[in-house]
Amino acid sequence: MSVQLLDHELDRLESLWSDGLSDAYRVYLESVKQFDPEVRPRLALAAALIEVGTRLQGLGTRAAPPTTLLMGDLCLARGSRLLADHAPLAVQVAFARAIETVSAAAASQHSAPPTRVLLQQALGAVR
Amino acid sequence: MKTGRLEFTTSGPTEFVDLTDRIRDSLVRDGLRNGRVHLQSLHTTVGLAVNENEPLLLRDFAAMLERLAPARAGYEHDDFSRRFDVPLGEPVNGHAHCRQLLLSGSITLLVEEGELVLGRWQSVFAVELDGPRPREVAMQLDGEFARLQDSLVEAELARQLLTDPEPVAEPMRRLVEAGGKRLRPRLVQLTAALGPNDNPLRAAELAAAVELLHNATLIHDDYVDESTHRRGRPTVAAAEGPERAIAVGDYYFAKATRLVAEIGNPAVTSVIADALEAICASQIDDVALRGSYPGDRESYMRVVRGKTASLFSAACESGALLSDASPDVVGALRRFGDLLGTAFQMADDMVDYSPTSGKPVGLDIRQRVLSLPLIYAADDRVVGPEVRRLLAGALGDQEVGRVTELVTASGALPRVRREAEALVEEAVRELEAVELDGLRPTLIGLARSAVDRDS
Repeated sequence: MSVQLLDHELDRLESLWSDGLSDAYRVYLESVKQFDPEVRPRLALAAALIEVGTRLQGLGTRAAPPTTLLMGDLCLARGSRLLADHAPLAVQVAFARAIETVSAAAASQHSAPPTRVLLQQALGAVR
Repeated sequence: MKTGRLEFTTSGPTEFVDLTDRIRDSLVRDGLRNGRVHLQSLHTTVGLAVNENEPLLLRDFAAMLERLAPARAGYEHDDFSRRFDVPLGEPVNGHAHCRQLLLSGSITLLVEEGELVLGRWQSVFAVELDGPRPREVAMQLDGEFARLQDSLVEAELARQLLTDPEPVAEPMRRLVEAGGKRLRPRLVQLTAALGPNDNPLRAAELAAAVELLHNATLIHDDYVDESTHRRGRPTVAAAEGPERAIAVGDYYFAKATRLVAEIGNPAVTSVIADALEAICASQIDDVALRGSYPGDRESYMRVVRGKTASLFSAACESGALLSDASPDVVGALRRFGDLLGTAFQMADDMVDYSPTSGKPVGLDIRQRVLSLPLIYAADDRVVGPEVRRLLAGALGDQEVGRVTELVTASGALPRVRREAEALVEEAVRELEAVELDGLRPTLIGLARSAVDRDS
């Protein structure tokens, strides 16, 4: 991923890069090899942002304090925008359904499959 | 006019049955936007009252009724030997009839923008005076009802919520059924009728998704702002805790984006996604600015354009895109929505100073929410120093009351109103250069009514 693209997409979220976002990004890069090379980093970053975002919010665990929740919200929104701009429709829908699954389980106080597993499956929605 | 009956069964001799939520549900179900709800007890021993639903106060009321018309005081009505045609099983209830005389047999409630006009602590009660029994209150809804287009959105919202798991659907249903102005979905529907590809059902799907997205952001906002009530009902965070509020917000954030994506128009999906990102980024700015409360106009405008105007703008633009409207129409509507959303937020700020709005006066000040009247009052040569001094300290009832007085006295409110109205006129001018297929008057009317919040 180019430095410029990273700078742009991490605006306001730079501090998260060294706090788990880069690790998640690298993991998801392994799950996007079926896409065009120029799209891969964007989709991997989208998945990483959504994973880190839900973790920041405390989804399914203890509620994050308000400012941290808002950072998590921004991660989700940016990940969603990256998907809207670069992912096939099936992947967009699969990502949304993954978040619906995790959040519905959290609201019901039931356990859900790990977010990472669901998002990796979502990336495979067009394979 | 629409009619109905509120049926209920009481469980004690004297009982205060809170009908408020059921009346609100009827407003939503029947689509009454502006008008009146008439209620009439169909019994001579059931009265109606508007008062506070506080358990100890209700016991005080019951005790008062007992003092004024004691059950065992002896009533001529209860001397069956002196009455004609006494039905079998006639109760001894002279006291209940006398108590009913102290209450109303009928009441009228006002409805504005789909919401019951009630003060924060007001609830509507049927007062059982001779229970327990099955009871009935007649109801007539009178005024301006939602049109077919509005009904389509309500039906779509109800349909979507029907398919969701209850732990997320129930809190969202509560919020949806509490009303709200539905400005964003209305903008989607109006603008979706402008191009050659006018499809009301698809427009209703997009409109409902936009409303769900808006509500999802409100659910998180209410946690962040520590708000206890929204649209007259407890917030999700207050009622069910922050963990549930976060989960419900996330669920509908995801579901709304999915519904938008499934419409299958990539340009629409991108516009909504951009707006959501702008909202979230501005929320962070909003909270950060509370450290330098009340802030300045430039910061205020930046936050409001992201936090409020972006979704208005996206609603207008996405509707137009959905109908394949021409690029100049899409651009004009995007700018129209941006200006209208900003004006709407300014008008919303003024509601905080209105004792007739139904919201507690000074709530924004207490929660240190960014507000243009407050910014102007803090800059005022006369009242500014005292406003800034008060805002720098703890904000109890006394301080909030004083700040409210100072803002009202400063001339800030008329100034903000003039600015909001000027923005609406600027928005209206954006519509002049494009062909709007006869919808220009409707859009102009909607824009002007959106800032007329306190009339």
